Amino acid sequence: MSSSPHHSTRLNFPSLIACHDCDLLQRRVLLHAGEVARCRRCGAALYRNLPNSIDRALAYTLAALVLILIANAYPIVGLEVSGNRQMASLYGTLHALWVEGREEVALLVGVTTMVTPIIQIVLMLYVLIPLRLNRMAQGTIPVLRFLSTVSPWSMMEVFLLGILVALVKLEHLAHVETGTAMWAFAALIPVLIAAGRVFNPDEIWEKVRALS
Amino acid sequence: MAPQSSDIDIDELQEVLHERKKRKSLPFVWIVPLVAAIIGGWLVVKGILEKGPTITIRFTSAEGLEAGKTKVKYKNVDVGEVKHISVTKDLLGVVATVEMVKATEPYLLEDTQFWIVRPRIAGGQVSGLGTLFSGSYIGSDPGKSTTKRRDFVGLEVPPIITTGMAGHHFVLHAETLGSLEVGSPVFFRQEEVGSIVAHEINKDGQGVTFRIFVNAPYDQYVNANSQFWNASGIDVTMDASGIRVDTESLVSILIGGVAFETFPGVGPRSSAAEAQEFTLFKNRNEAMKRPDPVSLPAVVIFDQSLRGLTVGAPVEFRGIAIGEVKAINMEYDLPENKPSFPVTIAIYPFRLQALLGGHVEVANDPEVRRVRWDGLIARGLRAQLRTGSLLTGQIFVAFDFFPNAPAAQIDWTRNPPALPTVPGLLEEVQQSVVNIVHKIDKMPLEKIGIDLRQSLETLNRTLTSTDKLVKGFDSEVTPSVKATLKDARKTLQSADQALTADSPLMYETRDLIRELNKTALSLRELTDYLDRHPEALIRGKKRGGQ
Amino acid sequence: MSRPVVTAAQLGLYSCHTCNLVTQAKRGHREVVCPRCGHHLHMRKPDSIARAWAFLLAGYILYIPANVMPIMHTSSLFGAQSDTIMSGVIYLWHSGSWHLALIVFIASILVPSAKLLGMTFLLISVQRRSLWDPLQRTRMYRIIEQVGRWSMLDIFVVAILVALVQLQSLATIRAGFGAVAFGAVVVLTMFAAMEFDPKLIWDPQGGRNGSSIVGH
Repeated sequence: MSSSPHHSTRLNFPSLIACHDCDLLQRRVLLHAGEVARCRRCGAALYRNLPNSIDRALAYTLAALVLILIANAYPIVGLEVSGNRQMASLYGTLHALWVEGREEVALLVGVTTMVTPIIQIVLMLYVLIPLRLNRMAQGTIPVLRFLSTVSPWSMMEVFLLGILVALVKLEHLAHVETGTAMWAFAALIPVLIAAGRVFNPDEIWEKVRALS
Repeated sequence: MAPQSSDIDIDELQEVLHERKKRKSLPFVWIVPLVAAIIGGWLVVKGILEKGPTITIRFTSAEGLEAGKTKVKYKNVDVGEVKHISVTKDLLGVVATVEMVKATEPYLLEDTQFWIVRPRIAGGQVSGLGTLFSGSYIGSDPGKSTTKRRDFVGLEVPPIITTGMAGHHFVLHAETLGSLEVGSPVFFRQEEVGSIVAHEINKDGQGVTFRIFVNAPYDQYVNANSQFWNASGIDVTMDASGIRVDTESLVSILIGGVAFETFPGVGPRSSAAEAQEFTLFKNRNEAMKRPDPVSLPAVVIFDQSLRGLTVGAPVEFRGIAIGEVKAINMEYDLPENKPSFPVTIAIYPFRLQALLGGHVEVANDPEVRRVRWDGLIARGLRAQLRTGSLLTGQIFVAFDFFPNAPAAQIDWTRNPPALPTVPGLLEEVQQSVVNIVHKIDKMPLEKIGIDLRQSLETLNRTLTSTDKLVKGFDSEVTPSVKATLKDARKTLQSADQALTADSPLMYETRDLIRELNKTALSLRELTDYLDRHPEALIRGKKRGGQ
Repeated sequence: MSRPVVTAAQLGLYSCHTCNLVTQAKRGHREVVCPRCGHHLHMRKPDSIARAWAFLLAGYILYIPANVMPIMHTSSLFGAQSDTIMSGVIYLWHSGSWHLALIVFIASILVPSAKLLGMTFLLISVQRRSLWDPLQRTRMYRIIEQVGRWSMLDIFVVAILVALVQLQSLATIRAGFGAVAFGAVVVLTMFAAMEFDPKLIWDPQGGRNGSSIVGH
């Protein structure tokens, strides 16, 4: 629609799409509800048609918000050895790593398990809530861009498996307890994945286009 | 751009592949956040409801305490956690902000106590070693008062827990601490039944007061007749009965202890009440001496050496202790220029009771007592000093009946009354021995000895010579010899007679010995002569110069 | 008649990788941005091969300390012990949890090496303009991208153990330098994969280079 003074494009081809994996130029097709468009050559998923995607995305994102708050407020696991109890919350884990001098590891773990998911949730809400109300939040577009860049850095499911491995390692050593946060994390993972799935960029772009 | 043959028409391009994905979509997707919100809300509410009271405890040092980690425990159950530690404004201590479990709410009272449990090795107590592994924790003991409290001052030393334990506290008074301390055990029949809970010097500086705790069911054995004594270490007593070594247990040797025993007595039999007061005696002997509620003071005056008599030495009657020596004094009787030693003793009539026949009641009426004692003295009861142990040289006062003792009276005018005494046995023996020695001294034993010796020597020689002579006589028998022999016989006979006479033996004997001497001498001369001049036998003795 | 197989690049078209809009650019050297979302437009990811190589090499270099240096120090009453990734796997194997040993082995040893080798292969194949089964290679790339994050597993295990086992004299666990190196390897290979442009795999395939598109 609008042409910014920086570019020199002449034509947009909104009816076409180039596969992001193999660059094959293809024609877009209108999808029925629930259908997914795939590249003819390499099978990459190009776009979907998910009805109510904004609603659903919002629902999942809100749930994710509650869950991540719980997951951070309570301890994940606890260890008990001869009367001595040690509970580890997510922040506690980062703190323990940090004070011992392994700041880099603390940073890495923190980014992948706390910072990124929180940013994802917050930003998604930032975008979705106005959209639900048929409005567009300021900077929605760069936010959406940022979200897609940052998504591979959210590694909570790996974290959860890591906890399980650690628990099994410790089980014969001491009495191990799972804390509330463990369950919150376990629930958070599918919820976030679902939120990401239904967070349909295409539909959002449609909306964005309609609104801008 | 003009269309070229290699241009591609959009419509020619492929379509994307579209697949129908069978996705079950959640019918009411909003359930998901709803459920999450409910769970979250419930957790928050639960957290608020379960939140227990927050208290502050002041300690002098935060050693071993860690914010967010150190727990407060009661009977090893976690009841709180230290949330925050800070230094007090006056820089003299630290304040720990502790969040307690909700259930502790009614127990945070005025006298609730907190202390830090660290590894401790102190006076008989090794405790808290578990904290080397698990980290220190704060121990707690709920109080019993009715006022609630939220800010506490922590103890520096773990107290002896008595809350909730069945048993009784008692109070003991003693002169010195006597190597006892908080935690020292209390023994009954050599079994540990309690411990010392606290001690402090009396406010007037005279003595020390202990507070002990005796566990149930042993506290029932404590009654008004119980005596407590310091059973620390090893008791070595040297007294009139000898040497004794006493100890309660290995523990008490190291860390001291208190023991008690209940004696049959006149006091009430019921168990002592809480915080009943007792005296703590120095040792068992002391404690054992006490069950006499009545003691009669008296004085016994001796004029012999009291070396070996000590205060506390027993007063016995035929081996049974009936009292003890209380004080030893000296008096100088100026008119008579003689020192005398009044020894103050205490007699326990309860013990005499047995001697008087058992069915005789101890008289409380002084008059009756006087009569009784006078009667005893009349029968010959006297006090005497006797040796208790030759080893230690200890002496004691003994009462006994001396039928031959000179008559005496109790001096009731003195206070305490003076009982008559007789000289000690040893004295008598000493005296007799001295007398004999004197007598023996007086005898002219030496002179007699010398005389006797001389006579015996001469007699010996005489007999030898006579032997020779008799041998010689075998061949030559002369009338003079015969005559001499006759004479000798006569003399002997007269000696015999003299011996049977009633004259003092000594003089007679002396005379006899003199005679014998002379005779022997003559005989000797003769034999000598005969030896030299055997012809005299025939010729007779030459007259004139030989 | 088969439909023409042509990539956007061959027709001189840009595809915005944020909003998927296909646009045509004037031949110029100026920076091109997407009309819809304003994102910079590139035919291909800029310097994809060079950057990917850079990250990959760095990953290779740090891979050695990541496996040689201990990732975890355990000190307990029984003594101190340092574990590398491999020794951790061996320990799990010997102590009976062979399934865990397998998981950790796959996640911490197999996957990172596979990533390094796979990316190397892809980069070389692209640089040599290989025509070998591009679909397979694209699948390989997708796998590398998806699975890469799982090699963070051991780092998380160490993190939790460090946080939990702080029992003073009884047992204490500290993270070793190997953990830092290993974390770096994971991050670097992730960046390498992100920088790599999979479209490059398909570029050597024949097509309509130079043609232009007409129609609307």
